[in-house]
Amino acid sequence: MLDLFLAEIKRSWIILSRYATETIGGIIATTFVFYGLFLSSRYIAGPGIVLGDRLDSVIVGYILWTLMLFIMGDVAGGLQDEARTGTLEQMFLTPYGAARVFVIRAIGSLSIQLTLNIVIVAVIMLITGSKLAFPPTLVPPFITALLGAYGLAFTVGSLTLVFKQVRQVQSVLQFGLLLLLAAPTETWTGPLRLVGWLMPIAPGAGLLRDVMARGLELDGVRMAIASVNGLFYFTLGILLFSWAERLTKRQGKLGGY
Amino acid sequence: MSILEAHHLHKTYRLKGKVLAAVQDVSLRIDGNEVLAFLGANGAGKTTTIKMIAGLILPDQGSVRIDGQDPHKDPWALRSLGAVLEGTRNTYWRLTPEENLEYFGVLRGLTRSVARRRTLELLDRFELTHKRREMVQTLSRGMQQKLAIAVALIHNPQLLLLDEPTLGLDVEATENVKNIIREVAAEGRAILLTTHQLDIAEELSDRVAIIQNGAIAIEQSTSTLIRQFSGTAYNIELVHGLEGDRLSKVEALGGVVKGNKIYVREPDVVYEVLDILKPLPLVKVEQDKASLTEIFLQVIQKVNAPQTHHA
Repeated sequence: MLDLFLAEIKRSWIILSRYATETIGGIIATTFVFYGLFLSSRYIAGPGIVLGDRLDSVIVGYILWTLMLFIMGDVAGGLQDEARTGTLEQMFLTPYGAARVFVIRAIGSLSIQLTLNIVIVAVIMLITGSKLAFPPTLVPPFITALLGAYGLAFTVGSLTLVFKQVRQVQSVLQFGLLLLLAAPTETWTGPLRLVGWLMPIAPGAGLLRDVMARGLELDGVRMAIASVNGLFYFTLGILLFSWAERLTKRQGKLGGY
Repeated sequence: MSILEAHHLHKTYRLKGKVLAAVQDVSLRIDGNEVLAFLGANGAGKTTTIKMIAGLILPDQGSVRIDGQDPHKDPWALRSLGAVLEGTRNTYWRLTPEENLEYFGVLRGLTRSVARRRTLELLDRFELTHKRREMVQTLSRGMQQKLAIAVALIHNPQLLLLDEPTLGLDVEATENVKNIIREVAAEGRAILLTTHQLDIAEELSDRVAIIQNGAIAIEQSTSTLIRQFSGTAYNIELVHGLEGDRLSKVEALGGVVKGNKIYVREPDVVYEVLDILKPLPLVKVEQDKASLTEIFLQVIQKVNAPQTHHA
């Protein structure tokens, strides 16, 4: 399995480097966005005021959002590309099972993307002299949010397998994602609070806001809810993907585009 | 036990209210060291059958066993299968041959070190070493096809499915691929070959199965099939055309003369005809042998085709 993960990382990296113009363009654009975030936060805060957790949370929120968009595009867009170029069926001839390979592939390309983002942020921190503090308690809610994102991505991936063309769904989902990430579910009360717990990604994103912006300790109960939420949507996505795989194989439409 | 055993495969599609019986009760078996030419017109059910064998299409009924394992239930059965599928690229065009082989090796269940070793072996064997660091999209069609076969062999599978492997290749590349198929079969593998180039099928196959309207119309060893469809007649070719007394004597024996060619239907009179022709110079005397193309056309014409079908 480790071999497959390393092979997927290598494949993603090679393809990324072959699209050099696009990759460099992407890195420059990301750098500018991050740099803009740093500058604007400093401007708003004023030179005399020490930047606090606010900037950190803006950066983390932005990284989270771009990563989620990346995961969505990577899984569903990747499937569409494979179907169009004619390698999708070869992917399904693996003894590991297609769903497992696509999960490993998605984690592999996310690792590269995350590393690029971290390097960019580190470089900007060096340039601007800003200090960002990322407490380790950030990692568990971050992972639950990612699990939810993978779950959604594989749900869209299932639609891609069945319907082949899902660009419209993807663009609608970009706004949906923003809503899920930005909705202040942690402040909701009564029955709405339950809705907040059930929404994908939202509990993890709420915890991140607490830890980063409000400087709160990680709440055990809410962390447990976020974990269950993340695992639930991840499992649902994978199950849907396996169901879509079987349906497409029954319809004989796996390779068609 | 044969390497491939497919029993009573059925597949029906429902499209816009129409029922399309794509494959009806198809059974196939291939042993090691054997090439089965799987022939049929477009839409006869070849591709659906191949994809059911590869686990890419679920059969409505029937079973597939590759080296004793069912690819629809146990994905590790795919460890024994390699496939070059028609109409698709089969490899990543943005990667080099070396990168493709290494990646697909791991995807098929090899460790990275074994995949690396097999990659170097196959690059060398398929004469692709000098192109190993060039992107696949820049290679010739022949080289891309050789690479697709190499990728299908990276994990050393027992069964190789080749769907139209020589389609669109020039003469030299076709010869290359034919030699590869011969070698690969001689290593003990079972090969399922589909092609519209029936001369290639005749040359390479040990057995032939012809599918028409989703059902197997005939399955036979290639040599037996050709013998069965070949007449007992003889063709005699002379250097010059036949005239006068000899012409009428040959025709009296039942020979059909067209210019310098004589068709003798009854084998018993061949020597009498040759006596008449003596001492005229001959080009050749041969038994009338059916080609696979003639056999194929006869078989598919015999089958009634009232049903709708699907590829």
